[in-house]
Amino acid sequence: MLRLLACLLFAAAAIAQLPLPQRYRDAGVLRWGSDAEGGAPFVFLDSAHPDRGEIGFEVDLAHELGRLLGIEMRRVQAPFGNLVQVLQRGDCDLAMNGLEPTQSRRSQVRFTRPYYIFQQQLSVGPGITGVRGLDDLDGKRVGVLGESQSHKLLLEHPGIETVVYESNVTAYEDVINGRTAGSLADLPIARALRPMFPQLVDVGEPFGEDYYCIAVRAGEADLQQALDAALGVLFGNGTLERIYRKWDLWVPAEARLGEDSIAQRFANDAVVGGAGDMDWGEALVMLGRGALRTMGISVVSFVLAVLLGLVVALVRLHGPRPLRWCAVAYVELLRGTPILVQMLLLYYGLGQIEGLRLDAVTAGILGLSLNYAAYEAEVYRGALSAIPRAQREAASALGLTTAQSLRFVIVPQALRLSLAPSTNDFIALFKDSSIVMVITVVELTKQYQMLANASGRFIVLGLVTSGLYLAMSLPLAYLARRFERRLDRDHA
Amino acid sequence: MIELRGVGKRFGDRVLFEGLDLDLVPGKTTVIMGRSGSGKSTLLRLINQLERHDTGTVRLSPIEIPAGLPHGEWVRQATALRRRTGMVFQGFQLFPHLCVLDNVTLAPRTVQGVARAVAEQKARALLELVGMGEAVDRFPARLSGGEAQRVAIARALATEPEVLLLDEPTSALDPASTASVVAVIQDLKQRGFTLAMVTHDPELGQSLADHLVELK
Repeated sequence: MLRLLACLLFAAAAIAQLPLPQRYRDAGVLRWGSDAEGGAPFVFLDSAHPDRGEIGFEVDLAHELGRLLGIEMRRVQAPFGNLVQVLQRGDCDLAMNGLEPTQSRRSQVRFTRPYYIFQQQLSVGPGITGVRGLDDLDGKRVGVLGESQSHKLLLEHPGIETVVYESNVTAYEDVINGRTAGSLADLPIARALRPMFPQLVDVGEPFGEDYYCIAVRAGEADLQQALDAALGVLFGNGTLERIYRKWDLWVPAEARLGEDSIAQRFANDAVVGGAGDMDWGEALVMLGRGALRTMGISVVSFVLAVLLGLVVALVRLHGPRPLRWCAVAYVELLRGTPILVQMLLLYYGLGQIEGLRLDAVTAGILGLSLNYAAYEAEVYRGALSAIPRAQREAASALGLTTAQSLRFVIVPQALRLSLAPSTNDFIALFKDSSIVMVITVVELTKQYQMLANASGRFIVLGLVTSGLYLAMSLPLAYLARRFERRLDRDHA
Repeated sequence: MIELRGVGKRFGDRVLFEGLDLDLVPGKTTVIMGRSGSGKSTLLRLINQLERHDTGTVRLSPIEIPAGLPHGEWVRQATALRRRTGMVFQGFQLFPHLCVLDNVTLAPRTVQGVARAVAEQKARALLELVGMGEAVDRFPARLSGGEAQRVAIARALATEPEVLLLDEPTSALDPASTASVVAVIQDLKQRGFTLAMVTHDPELGQSLADHLVELK
């Protein structure tokens, strides 16, 4: 009895030792942000039992933290590349998802003591030989998770063409597909994903040393201290080791997590300043380059969409019956499914088939033009139907064949009618073209995201980016209107 | 010479005409008249196969188009026949996206493969003939009804058709324009063109006809 009482007292004392800011006590919940997409071994869906919710060593860690702090830990899904921003916006209270305390992140948020020490592992495709490290990959394409420590390390090798992915899974996928020579990843990720990609070859020894820390908002030193204390307890009582062993993540280096030099490593960030310094000249050049790429992709895609759309519309109106059905099916299929899904299918889906492996820009242009061709086909079908029947009769009476009367009489008039809606579609495509970022193309919007993530300057960079978009779309709308007016003057 | 033999046409169960024989004699003007709904425009459009006949045969030797040809074969024959006829519509049907000169040269260049310079030279002469020599660069939207119809006549003549079909060429025109178009038609008749015209204007019909067809 006495013993039980002592235990209860001890437990109460233990809770009392770990104070949590009162506002969180009141809320009764701590929301932790993480990204479950490709998140093994951090936070991910168990593919054997996807309905059982997320698993991973950070899920276990969150559970233990919540127990120790006496509060419910509720996971919030957020894209990895934007975790810091989601935290700053207040959509979660802490971010724990293999976040490395990089310089740019440390200027925006506050980090706890490290809860894991990791190294980098380079993996290459099955056909790549003679590579022992990053130095052997000059002139090659190497994939990496955007905004990660690996990303930062790769950028220190200017000879390597860095290809940025939204997840480690897609980064590895493209190594297998041969689009990249290899991929650099945090060792825990490389290990966790190895069963999915048995063809990959790890080269060289793991190198570098970095840390995963929990991020909290800059002003919340009290929450950081509470989490520091909790992590200290979990390390001290062996809970961390138990979790890491369970996930096969325990390496001897983890024993150093208790050392002061590591625990105190980021404690000096007490004063978190504004955003990091940024070379505006370089940033503008990069945005400009992104804008050119956006323009190029949009123009080529739209020209193809117009040509294909016209063919589909003509087939639908004048083709033999079975082909007409195909044209209808094409339009409905491409209009009725998300362009995002089409893009991923084209790039990653087809990429799994030898011989259909498109490079990212080609796949992006193809995806945009196939999708927009469906919309253009409908515009042209309407315009073609609007040309009076008598015009075709007049052409027939002159002896023109169906093809000739379409080409010289009907289509030119229909194109004139569709100029306004087509211009509209081009401007829409122009902005939609940012979707190619999901297949690793860095265009204007992605460039903005990367620069803003690195510097925290979302507003200024956002305004500059918007300005660039407008600077390209407004003249286009103006030219189209002028062209239309000129046609009106002559023909109407 | 275009010959219609035993030609019949019906819309649904309404018989427009049946067993009709008609010869368009070279150098002569045939005028088709009748009250509205009598099928006179249909008869004219049947001559160049803008309408298909249900019975009988349309012939422009060596082209012979019996009723009921399979579609592909009919398209071939009809196109060949149309290349030897010209047609002028009540509503002109100039191509609005092409200037006057291009309207006239389109068929010679695309159908007959005539070189642009040659086609344009001939088009200018034809436009001169219909009194539109000054208008080569204008677009159809800038023409009056009478001007547009005269350009349409020049366009129909550009391929040197053996017969010119005129479908109520003056009904959409005011009196002054009508006079200018009638003058052109009379001039063509004098020059010995073979014409077939539908009109509901008895006076005009009587004055031009070498051969008058009345539909009931």
